[in-house]
Amino acid sequence: MNSNEPKMKPMFLPEVEDNSQPGGRGDMIRMMRDSGKEYPQIWHLFAFRPQATDRLGGFTQEIMRGDCPLSPGLRELIAAFTSAGNHCPF
Amino acid sequence: MPYITLPEGLPGIRGPMAFRPETAKPLNELVEVLLRGPGTLTPGERELIATYVSSQNDCFFCQSIHGAVAAYHLGGNEKLVADVKRNYQGAEVSSKLKALLAIAGKVQLSGKQVKVEDIARARQEGATDLEIHDTVLIAAAFCMYNRYVDGLATWQPDDPEMYRARGAKTAQEGYGKTP
Repeated sequence: MNSNEPKMKPMFLPEVEDNSQPGGRGDMIRMMRDSGKEYPQIWHLFAFRPQATDRLGGFTQEIMRGDCPLSPGLRELIAAFTSAGNHCPF
Repeated sequence: MPYITLPEGLPGIRGPMAFRPETAKPLNELVEVLLRGPGTLTPGERELIATYVSSQNDCFFCQSIHGAVAAYHLGGNEKLVADVKRNYQGAEVSSKLKALLAIAGKVQLSGKQVKVEDIARARQEGATDLEIHDTVLIAAAFCMYNRYVDGLATWQPDDPEMYRARGAKTAQEGYGKTP
């Protein structure tokens, strides 16, 4: 364990937190941990189950940025509004 | 009658998926990974979680089709599927699955309802972190699918035979193979 490691509240599932799969997402987590910076723990979810994350990412990219008359800004506003309704600050 | 003009003759989620194939592809691949990908929960158990969440969300199409897929995986046991929907605590499923269904039910209400005690109970019944993780993701994803299906008022036939036949086909072939 790095002494710089940020003091963040542990997640419910330590195995998810400790088992980033190889790839850029795990590298980002290590970089932030090593430099003592906090990062959103959704990164651990992304890094744990790449097969699911890739599909969620593909879906998000298409629905938020894909071909559609609604501008990306407006679509992000819809997402932010819904997240606020769900009390999810992230 | 759907709120927007969707391809005709395709029940439930299949209408909007045919309408918007670009978003349908990752959505189908996600459900394939979650319900049929490598994992220690059987496809039947995972379909039961999806069915239970869909029934809590009162989504007729999703609980019917995934209930039919679950029943197929469980040797045609439609009674077990009905029992899980009505009162899973009294159903003939493992105590591990009951603890996971409790977590799924809380995710259906709100992610914030899941408490450390729920996780501890699932662990005590032998659930691994991967199984708990996948349960939460299945429950969360099905809240999305349920809202997608009902938010557009898709056509949802009530013929159980249709769901039985399609459920068997999906259980054999997987998701997203035929529109």
